[in-house]
Amino acid sequence: MPRRGGAASEEVEIEIDSDVSDNEDGATQKGTNRRQAAGRGGAKGRGRSKKTDSDEEDEEEDEAPRGRRGANNRRPAKKRGGGGKKDEDESEDEAPKKKRGGAANKKRGGKAQDSDGEDSDAGKGKKGKKGGGKKGGKEEQDGKGKKGDAKGKDKGKDKGKDKDDDKDKKKKKKKDDSSSDSNSNSEEEDSMSEGEMARLMEEVEEKKKLIANMRNKPWRMNRRLMLLKEAQEFVDKFEGALGKGKGRKWYAYKVMMTKKWIKFKRDFENFRTACIPWESKIKEVESHFGSSVASYFIFLRWMYGMNLVLFGLTFGLVVIPEVLMGLPYGSIPRKTVPRAEQATAQDYSVLMDFNGYCKYSVLFYGYYNNQRTVGLLKFRLPLSYLLVGIGTFGYSLMLVIRTMAKNADVGGGDGDEGEFTFAWKMFTSWDYLIGNAETADNKYASITTSFKESIVDEQENQKDENIHLRRFLRVLANFLITCSLGGSGYLIYFVVKRSQEFAARDDLSWYEKNELELIMSLLGLVCPPLFETIAELEDYHPRIALKWQLGRIFALFLGNLYTFLFALFDEVNSKLEEEDSIKNASIWAMKEYYANYTRLINDTESTPPPMNPGDVIRGPCWETAVGIEFVKLTVSDIQVTYLTILIGDFARAVIVRFLNYCWCWDLEAGFPSYGEFDISGNVLGLVFNQGMIWMGAFYAPGLVGINVLRLLSSMYYQCWAVMATNVPHERVFKASKSNNFYMGLLLLILFLSLLPVVYTIMTLPPSFDCGPFSGKSKMFDVIMETIALDLPSFIGTIFSYAANPGLIIPAVLLMVLAIYYLNSTSEAYQNANNELKKKMQMARDEEKNRRNNTNSTNQVMKDLEDLLPNRSLAPPAPPGQKYPEQQLKTPEPDAKATKTKAGSAAKGVNLQKDVSLASPNPNARGPVSRPPGPRGPGPGPGPGAGPGRGRGRGPPPR
Amino acid sequence: MGSRGSSMNNVPNAEELMQETGFSAAHLLRLHERFEFLDRDNRGHLSPEDFEAVREVAMNPIGGRIICSFFPPGQETLDFPSFVRILAHFRPTEKHRARDGAQSEPANSRTGKLKFAFQLYDLDRDGKISRAELLQVLRAMMGIQVTEEQLQSIAERAIQEADLDKDDAISFDEFRKSLEKVNIEHKMSIRFLE
Repeated sequence: MPRRGGAASEEVEIEIDSDVSDNEDGATQKGTNRRQAAGRGGAKGRGRSKKTDSDEEDEEEDEAPRGRRGANNRRPAKKRGGGGKKDEDESEDEAPKKKRGGAANKKRGGKAQDSDGEDSDAGKGKKGKKGGGKKGGKEEQDGKGKKGDAKGKDKGKDKGKDKDDDKDKKKKKKKDDSSSDSNSNSEEEDSMSEGEMARLMEEVEEKKKLIANMRNKPWRMNRRLMLLKEAQEFVDKFEGALGKGKGRKWYAYKVMMTKKWIKFKRDFENFRTACIPWESKIKEVESHFGSSVASYFIFLRWMYGMNLVLFGLTFGLVVIPEVLMGLPYGSIPRKTVPRAEQATAQDYSVLMDFNGYCKYSVLFYGYYNNQRTVGLLKFRLPLSYLLVGIGTFGYSLMLVIRTMAKNADVGGGDGDEGEFTFAWKMFTSWDYLIGNAETADNKYASITTSFKESIVDEQENQKDENIHLRRFLRVLANFLITCSLGGSGYLIYFVVKRSQEFAARDDLSWYEKNELELIMSLLGLVCPPLFETIAELEDYHPRIALKWQLGRIFALFLGNLYTFLFALFDEVNSKLEEEDSIKNASIWAMKEYYANYTRLINDTESTPPPMNPGDVIRGPCWETAVGIEFVKLTVSDIQVTYLTILIGDFARAVIVRFLNYCWCWDLEAGFPSYGEFDISGNVLGLVFNQGMIWMGAFYAPGLVGINVLRLLSSMYYQCWAVMATNVPHERVFKASKSNNFYMGLLLLILFLSLLPVVYTIMTLPPSFDCGPFSGKSKMFDVIMETIALDLPSFIGTIFSYAANPGLIIPAVLLMVLAIYYLNSTSEAYQNANNELKKKMQMARDEEKNRRNNTNSTNQVMKDLEDLLPNRSLAPPAPPGQKYPEQQLKTPEPDAKATKTKAGSAAKGVNLQKDVSLASPNPNARGPVSRPPGPRGPGPGPGPGAGPGRGRGRGPPPR
Repeated sequence: MGSRGSSMNNVPNAEELMQETGFSAAHLLRLHERFEFLDRDNRGHLSPEDFEAVREVAMNPIGGRIICSFFPPGQETLDFPSFVRILAHFRPTEKHRARDGAQSEPANSRTGKLKFAFQLYDLDRDGKISRAELLQVLRAMMGIQVTEEQLQSIAERAIQEADLDKDDAISFDEFRKSLEKVNIEHKMSIRFLE
């Protein structure tokens, strides 16, 4: 402490010296400034501010707390002294800028006095409030008394200094109870930290003063009003903190509640993160296998979420109402197993084929009755069934598109990457709060993985060999793959045609019967590895290679889908024919029955024939058949997937691991090795599975439930499998941040699966004796019926108008136009974005180059170069304005030196003040005060910077 | 208040420390408690072994360096004032920091924090992070999972990225430059409880 005090007084001496040697000319002005600084005892920088500059505002605000702290004894006296000096500097700087004439000086002086008065008043008031500080108050008064005296500057300064020293002493005697100041200090600590308190107090004072001074400021009226309002609000809000009694308590309460609220929010955030399902599982996988594998699991989780909503819709609005309010099992034919099947209806093999009791259950379309309303609530089940079927697609489409749009948004934002990648990873990747061995292991793994990912990216960036060869190879690879895709497409087409021929015949060999399935699975087995091999030619980054691979296999699987749908439609058509004949026959039988009944009993009431519902002749119900087809497919897909993992990955891993002890070659490093996680296969499996769900959900409401179970179990199962049996990819690569490619595939599949469903709903007649739409000629007739029966008639009229082609065609046209417009706008934005990115990159590179090319190690020189681009004859003024900032960096002694100099500068004529603008930094002064042409060897004084160079050329260098 | 006053007396040189580091009395008290907790044998100073008992430090790949940074070269013990002075680096940076060059940088400024972080990597304290020093850190972080060759290319690359004056090492200025966009003020701040 003593040391610092000493240093401070030294400065003060220098100060005084320079002041004393001031010319009369500058004295008035200097005086006011000086006194101001002194009178500011309570550390106010407001009074002098006449500047409209908002920079100035900022600085003041920064200064203020420092000063306040000084008053609060938080800072050593030395710092306080330095701060005071800087204030002076600034006021000096201002002076020449603003007003030059003597009159202006006077005016300014007067104003400064005004604000001085305010300063000390405010300061006094504050002291009083703080409950104590008699001394402080007295000092303030002293300072005030001196105010009128223009020559009192030195004394004022001394006063300020004294006061600081006093306060230091007081601080040391803090524990002394006789000092009232210390009392108030310790009181403060009760409610909030000292620094907080001090800062608040400072700000409130500042705002108060601002309110008082508002009239004198040369601001525009609306700015004044704005600031006034702001300041008043602030004072209202925080004055309580400084007062005593009620306001203070209220404030303490508020602060406490705010803190509690913040804590609660943080806890809630944590809780929310903990609620994200499987987050930790996925993170664990990511840390070991990289973001590409994790992207699959994230996709799986997203899919699960979507299916959960679909499940909720279907079960909440269709299945559960039917179970609760519909007719019970066995009441009508469609809800009863036919007598012929009843014997085997409970057999395991039959149930596994979803026949027997499964077929006549809520799982399938045929079970639902065509009553318009069910239960007491008059729930319109058929309508609800249709709307849920359409809503499933609507919701899925919306969700997929929204997610894609959101991801695209995220993808655009990361322009800053690629700068200091490795340095950042090295310096900042460890999490210093890890205290758990397992977490630490995961962190190690994830750091390693992320380094590997970066290495792959880097290798990819540096690759620039023969571009023509590469292009040629890529074209070749695409050609080959197109050929093989075309070939397999033709093969599928051929086989399907053949199988249609075979269908008419009876004498088929085993091969001929199963030809289609065999060919399909063979293609599925051979083609993906073939594509992968061909893709090696292309030598893409693995991330892009994965996309290509996905796209190609997707195209191949489309053939699969095509054959499946083809077979299905064949089946549906034959069923429709069969149904037609049964329908006619049963209608005829009914007519006969009723005719005979009325003739025999002579009763016109139409009593239904007394038949057991199991014995009624019924149609084939093609909807249920389709539903069963899809459910079977899904279930077999699940089985195949799980078995593949169990055998292909787990068994292989077990064999490799344990047989390795007794084998002739190294199994782990050699041929079989451990499996890698097959991202493309799994993603496509998921996407196609979802397509099956979308297509089948309308005919088998239970399918959605099965799918939810599947996704849930496969999340756990695959997480386990990948951690237990797989090894990371040889080239771990970073997945793109958005899963948009997966989403794109999903969207395509969604669209493809939408087509057949909509086609069947709109064109095929529903079965006459099963399902919610039986008895109608088209399924969507249920909507017409609702409009006609349940809604007021004018809505029907509106619908009929809306369905008018005259309205629909313009609407479609409008939409097309809107799409076109939005598309071109987004392209324009994209271009602008790219331009800007390029520019930023260029600016960065340029700066780096510039820094590399200069051999100067002088930081100040470098900064100067930044300020004076091109070394042109830029006017010295703009760089000058930056100096206050630069001053931040200069160490203490420099500032001191500046001070002395600035003082001596004041000896000169007023005009010289122009220069003092730029002078606070002595190092910087040289170059700037001279014409910034060819620079001298260093920041030192140039030879030509003599006094004779003309006005504004700067004072003689020291 | 009384109890606080009395316990404050246990803290040596409390006033000076508070002024020097900007901690409040409550902070200081808390730190002292922690200090005494770490100092299991009540010797009044800490040794490197005391730090190794902290799990978070033991887990850290550069835990050793962290411990070293608490001890000035050639010294085996750490007394309370030095402890507080070092932890002052982690005090949150004040928003309204005094912005004048006339005072020395406080320990909790951005530069102070960065200096501390820089020292963690600068093993030989020569003001530069050399390639060998980087390699050592990398080895600690990734161990055997990455080949030595790759480690070397990573180190090489990291130096290339940050090295502006081509001296094949990262000086403090370059270090600062490369971490310009990292929110050090936030990351290297500890909310000391009161």
